[in-house]
Amino acid sequence: MDETRFTIGRRALLGGAIATLSAPALLLRAARAEDEPIKIGFPTPLTGPFGAEAKDQVQCAQLAIKQFNAAGGLKGRQAELLVRDDKLNPGEAATRTLELIEKDKVACIVGALSASVQLATNEVTKARGVVYVSISQSDAITAAPDFSRTTFHEALNPHMTAGAVARHVFKPGMKVAILLADYAYGQEMAAGFRRAAEAIGGVDIVLEQKHPFGAADYSTFIPALRAAKADVVCICNFGRDQANSIKQAVDLGLKRQSKIVVPVLLYNQRLAGSADAFEGIIGGSNYYWTIEDRLPAAKAFNDAYRSETNGNTPSDYGAYGYAGVRIVLDAMRRAGSVEPDALVHELEGAHYETYKGPETMRACDHQAVQSVLILDSKAKAAMKTPSDFFDIVAVENGTEKNLRSCADLGHTVAAQ
Amino acid sequence: MIRDIAPVQIAPTRIDWPMLAQRWRVPLLAVGLAALPWIVPSQALAVNILIFGLYATGFNLLFGFTGMLSFGHAAFFGAGAYGTGIALARFGIGWFGAIGTGIAVASALALLIGALSIRSRGIYFSMVTLALAQLIYYIALQATGWTGGENGLRGLTVLTLHIGPLTLNFLDPTVKYYVILAFVVAALWAVSRLLNAPFGAAIEAIRENEGRAAACGYDVKRIKLVAFVLSGSICGLAGALNALHLSIVPIDSLSYQTSGLAVIMVLLGGAGTFFGPFIGAAIFLLIEDVFSLWTVHWQLFAGMVFILAVLFLPHGVWGTLVSWRKGREP
Repeated sequence: MDETRFTIGRRALLGGAIATLSAPALLLRAARAEDEPIKIGFPTPLTGPFGAEAKDQVQCAQLAIKQFNAAGGLKGRQAELLVRDDKLNPGEAATRTLELIEKDKVACIVGALSASVQLATNEVTKARGVVYVSISQSDAITAAPDFSRTTFHEALNPHMTAGAVARHVFKPGMKVAILLADYAYGQEMAAGFRRAAEAIGGVDIVLEQKHPFGAADYSTFIPALRAAKADVVCICNFGRDQANSIKQAVDLGLKRQSKIVVPVLLYNQRLAGSADAFEGIIGGSNYYWTIEDRLPAAKAFNDAYRSETNGNTPSDYGAYGYAGVRIVLDAMRRAGSVEPDALVHELEGAHYETYKGPETMRACDHQAVQSVLILDSKAKAAMKTPSDFFDIVAVENGTEKNLRSCADLGHTVAAQ
Repeated sequence: MIRDIAPVQIAPTRIDWPMLAQRWRVPLLAVGLAALPWIVPSQALAVNILIFGLYATGFNLLFGFTGMLSFGHAAFFGAGAYGTGIALARFGIGWFGAIGTGIAVASALALLIGALSIRSRGIYFSMVTLALAQLIYYIALQATGWTGGENGLRGLTVLTLHIGPLTLNFLDPTVKYYVILAFVVAALWAVSRLLNAPFGAAIEAIRENEGRAAACGYDVKRIKLVAFVLSGSICGLAGALNALHLSIVPIDSLSYQTSGLAVIMVLLGGAGTFFGPFIGAAIFLLIEDVFSLWTVHWQLFAGMVFILAVLFLPHGVWGTLVSWRKGREP
């Protein structure tokens, strides 16, 4: 009897001991899954002609991650940014996105810096139901058939940007010439100017001159623009192309004859170029740092960036990197989850303010409705600090009126 | 009389490993490739190695074995990709039929470009293929309605594969890898058979001495054209598989950089060898993948590796290994 009782007791003891020993181990495992960082994939063209913009985007995205982690993360879970070089190549971007989803198990993808690359990334994320926040300009991505319920577009789009610049510059009776880089960005920007010109009425587009993407020599295109004798010349290209074409246009005397405007006046290209070449050039932008005088959110963002980078100033495209990552992290915190369904629910129709004043994520096409700044490049003598490049001459506040309608984009009203 | 016959000396049987490897080269490569997803950092990269290895193999058939350096093979890779993509996205043809369409389009294009370009030789042949491939690139860039132009072709995502009673989830990276591997192994088997057949000897004869091959009675022009079309169709299959893998067809698949990729991969691995193209593709893609994770200046290191390879391994990694092995034999 005693012996039997003892045996059972020993078994119980053994069982109990195993249970007691393994319980913390099991708990530890569960805790580990909880502790695992929230991974955010960030494909971006670190190498190639948009390298400067891409590096800024990474720096600003890291800032958003750092702030999120410093504020306690998601119930203690920290976030981590996985940066991948997409080499400005859609095939490479698709491969990297597949890797990020399949191998690294990211919670969402933010990034890409050209229309074709973001459309490729979107194709991969949409089939797998992964949330993707695009942070470079494209009209196609928010329209059918590319749009999906997990596709979000935080950047401005060509229709909004070119439209705002045109509404500011074009007057009835004007003659307009367009120089465009012959790829999606240039074509969509030119289309934006054309639509705006039609809406204004009486604006005559006398010339559309195409140049190849990444051209170094513009001397063959400028004479045609001069011969057009237009009141306004719109130069629709991006990155290094912008600085190169503006410098050569000015050298060849185009500025003396016509007003030069660009859809997006890039901070980095002005930084790389000279005040003399850019002086008097007007363009649109999502962000320029001196808006901090009017917006506390911009002040907070600038200060955080300055303390992070020894007093540097954030650029327009860099700010997109911050906003793109920030809106998903904020959505995760609001939802208390990283599940795509919860994120979509939180982001769709959201009103938020991250760095530039109020924005709304329109429900039907997931386009961030936001303000467009109209900038005028300062003369060298008028610059107060080395990064005092532009005057904000107007701010067109975000309104659905300036976007293409949901029906126009091919979205059924039921989707709302 | 019987005494006159010298006794046959039977050497102790020594297994001739290189010979054995040569005979079993397709199963050997298949086994190696089957293990690839567990060796390289990610399955997406493993699929890329498969596809570009096959692409380089197709190119090697023409460059390494027939001795014709084409700078326009992206045309066939791209034609296969666009053929498959357009069949899937615009005509709603099933995935298997779409791959067939891709190969057919690439082969037809190879017949056309081949017929035009094999009239020239040497550097002129390279230039003609390059020019014709650029022509195809600009046609695809302009035909936005069909190809999506600069934005690339989208809307061809294959979610599931129906093979008889089987339904496979093509989004599962492992399933995707082995489905693509099946196509690649089938193509490799075909290439291996082709090289072992008299046709294989004929193209190598043309590579070594075109005049003598003609003097031996070979119809050189015709054999060249057949080799060109076969090479194009294999590259077309690689393009078709790439379209399925990435679920997009970027315009870059037709660009001259893609043509150059085949040249680099084959030279790196070893031209005129069976395993070389895969080894070249694997090394190239691994360097790109791994180095670009370490540093933004990955191109600097990749460039150094290529320079070293050209300086010290003139026959490519595999080619040098093979010739070193041959040189050691008594």
